[in-house]
Amino acid sequence: MNDRIVFENVSKFYGEVLGVNRISFSIPPGITTLVGPNGSGKTTLMNLMTGLVQPSSGQISIQGIAPGEPDTFFRMVGYCTQFDSFPRGLTGYQFLFDSLMLHGVSEYDAFRLAGEAMERVRLSDAAGRKIAAYSKGMRQKIRLAQAIAHHPRVLVLDEPLNGLDPMARAESLALFEELGRQGMHLIISSHILDEVDRISDRVILITGGYLIAEGNIHQVRQEVRDKPMQVLVRCDKPELLASRMFSVNHCVEARLHGDGKGVFLRTADVDEFYRLLNDVAVEGLVKIEAVAPADDDANAIYNYLIGSDGGAS
Amino acid sequence: MAASANTLTNRLKQQPWGLWWLQARRLTRIEVRRNLFSWRATWIYFLAFVPTIILLIHAVFDRDGKLAMSEDTMVLAGIVQFYYIRLGIFFGCLGIFSRLIRGEMVERSLHYYLLSPVRREILLLAKFAAGSFSAILLFGSAMIADFALVYMPYGTVGHDFVFNGPGLSQLEAYLAIAVLACLGYGAVFLLLSMIFRNPMPAAMLVLGWEAINPVLPSILQRISVASYLRHLMPVSVPGDGIFALLTVETEPAPAWAAVLGLLLLIAVVLAYSCYRIRRLEIRYTTD
Amino acid sequence: MSVYRHDYRAYSGRVTPMWARVGVLVRYGLAEAWSSKITIGLGLAAMIPFIIFLIQIYLANNPATRLLVSRNNLRFLDVDAEYFLRALEAQCWFALPLMSWVAPRLITYDLADNALPILLSHPVSRFGYVLGKFLALFASLASVTVLPCLVLFVYQCDCAPPGWTMANLPIAFGIVAGTTVWITLLSMVGLAFSSWVKWRTLATGVIFAAVLVPAGVGGIFSAVLRTRWGMLLNLPVMMTQLWQRLLGVPEVVRTGRDWSLPSAAILAMLIAACLVCAAMLHARIRAREVVRG
Repeated sequence: MNDRIVFENVSKFYGEVLGVNRISFSIPPGITTLVGPNGSGKTTLMNLMTGLVQPSSGQISIQGIAPGEPDTFFRMVGYCTQFDSFPRGLTGYQFLFDSLMLHGVSEYDAFRLAGEAMERVRLSDAAGRKIAAYSKGMRQKIRLAQAIAHHPRVLVLDEPLNGLDPMARAESLALFEELGRQGMHLIISSHILDEVDRISDRVILITGGYLIAEGNIHQVRQEVRDKPMQVLVRCDKPELLASRMFSVNHCVEARLHGDGKGVFLRTADVDEFYRLLNDVAVEGLVKIEAVAPADDDANAIYNYLIGSDGGAS
Repeated sequence: MAASANTLTNRLKQQPWGLWWLQARRLTRIEVRRNLFSWRATWIYFLAFVPTIILLIHAVFDRDGKLAMSEDTMVLAGIVQFYYIRLGIFFGCLGIFSRLIRGEMVERSLHYYLLSPVRREILLLAKFAAGSFSAILLFGSAMIADFALVYMPYGTVGHDFVFNGPGLSQLEAYLAIAVLACLGYGAVFLLLSMIFRNPMPAAMLVLGWEAINPVLPSILQRISVASYLRHLMPVSVPGDGIFALLTVETEPAPAWAAVLGLLLLIAVVLAYSCYRIRRLEIRYTTD
Repeated sequence: MSVYRHDYRAYSGRVTPMWARVGVLVRYGLAEAWSSKITIGLGLAAMIPFIIFLIQIYLANNPATRLLVSRNNLRFLDVDAEYFLRALEAQCWFALPLMSWVAPRLITYDLADNALPILLSHPVSRFGYVLGKFLALFASLASVTVLPCLVLFVYQCDCAPPGWTMANLPIAFGIVAGTTVWITLLSMVGLAFSSWVKWRTLATGVIFAAVLVPAGVGGIFSAVLRTRWGMLLNLPVMMTQLWQRLLGVPEVVRTGRDWSLPSAAILAMLIAACLVCAAMLHARIRAREVVRG
């Protein structure tokens, strides 16, 4: 069975305004982050994915099913939108219950699943209160609960961390991570890249309606060859290491860490860099404690590929 | 030919009719709850029952011995023809049916329905059913109450008129008119609310169209809800001046033809609405 | 940062007087109202009867036309109080759809976008806000009611023989008074219902209903209880009677029933309607945020 989210040459125009243009990708299960500045087409892409808007051209399918077949499509897809609005006059519990009833489940199951989803987003205490009386963070959570309540296989989340306090953000991220581990397909768009980056496997970069890059974060970073990669090396003699590294021409920048026990090195050839670092370690001149890429994340990729255009928000 | 008919039959049998029926019932229940049991619905109760309140005052406090049942029969016919069809049901259905889709767009909550595993046609028809049920329940019961309040004060004479005279058939005709008016206006306003971001100017044009319809050529008279309903009126009300426009029958037609014509109009409008909703996109703007 | 480096200074220049700020709201209100193609369409449609009446004045004062029209039909060319009543009624009823379209544009956007807290956080009072919107609506309606009717009157004064103007001056006063009452009422009704409905898409219909449904209810009241007082809910009937009296046109009794209402009762009802509208605005125009859900 096809387990991918597939966009084939998808374009969307709102009259003469470009939404997205000729987007093609195929996303395997796991957590995928959708990254781009405001107005870049992230929400359009998600709305296309879930059939809320229809493509001007191209084909879209999730696990082999098109959004035009709602009976089967929305059984496996949950979408937590950015729209901060709800059907009028409902309590949080009624909102989930009504939504589940439309899935065709029995009243008992709707009751059970609604309670379970409320529990997952830690809103059980507020289940009986009107949504109109919820705080912004609670409204964000109830939308998330509605998206996951029917146990979808694919979860599309548009800015799911907006309006959440740090504690709730951490809880949500833990929940996404757990769902991803369980084999769910998660597509997350977020501006809080530092946090999302920790849990995501893949990244899709989009700006001005065009796909800039797509794939595994490390692969995408390595593809950005015109931006030398930065590596943090924790060691006892950072100055010595820096001078040694500068003896080779692929190392273009060195900056001492604030605590004096490490150095940020920027290299144009990361493979050669690691080979040389091994030599240094074997020689025993410098005692190396840790090595970590310092700009091998979604945030850095965003800055390199999009931020330099001045489009980053 | 037979093979293709068999294929069609098989395809129809394979459809999840049970699930669709269940979803439609549940959607209808949700919508009826929102139409009838909220503070925002009080104005529809007002539209439906304000004649009832006036008739109640008449029945209880206004009995001065000068009762004239034939005059009251005309008054009731006037209430149905001038008030319910032209104002009460018109504006009631305008409010109920334009809220179903456009109202959800304005409140930015339509996407929740479109993200549920319900076919959009089922969604539309269930919403239409819920709107129709709410409107028919309110305006139908208001008409029954009006009818009872008109004839109850006449005691045995009124009883005779209702059960041994033309009374019951008149009530049936009024109820049929209410049902058809709710369905007809409902279908039209549901479609208008899907075509236009602001359906009100179009609805006001419909109001004007319905008023001037009797003076239009007969082909254009067929594109009107009120023109079909006029043929079903059991009592003809003499109109004067501008009111003659609302009562005059320029193209007499049998009742069955009027009912069939209106049902056909409703079916066409609903079919086109189903086509529109399949292409509906969520683009919330400030309306 | 050292205190001496704090170079921020609050604005200390001249400020416009309070009343002038209402003018800003009026200006923006008018711009918003007339930015819609439908508003322009309705405004142009309202000019159609005006042009017809204008042509009628020209023909009535043209000797050749008078000779061409047979003596029996000369009544058709009379420009008198009844003629101005017809013109006034036509223009005033064209103002209703215009008001029902414009009023929601002036108010509901602010409410739907939660802009009221922002607007009212400026040095503009709630009264100033409503007054600004009211004046914008009033001016828009005046442009299709009182102005065209006065232009007709002035044109007739110009074309008619000397002495006509002085003899018919009460008609001009009647036109000004009748249209002022009407568009004041319409403006109040439009703003009040727009502030309560909030959805622009529904507000237009609700305003129409607010004028037409009470008329129907009043009709039922009068028919069922056999009284003329139900007509106090019937705005078309009330206004027709008021205009007839202001222009000095004799009232015609139709359908065998006399629905004539005392002028004092009509005025009291219109004032009461305006007060209800003012109370609705008072309750609704507040700096508060509307949470959806």
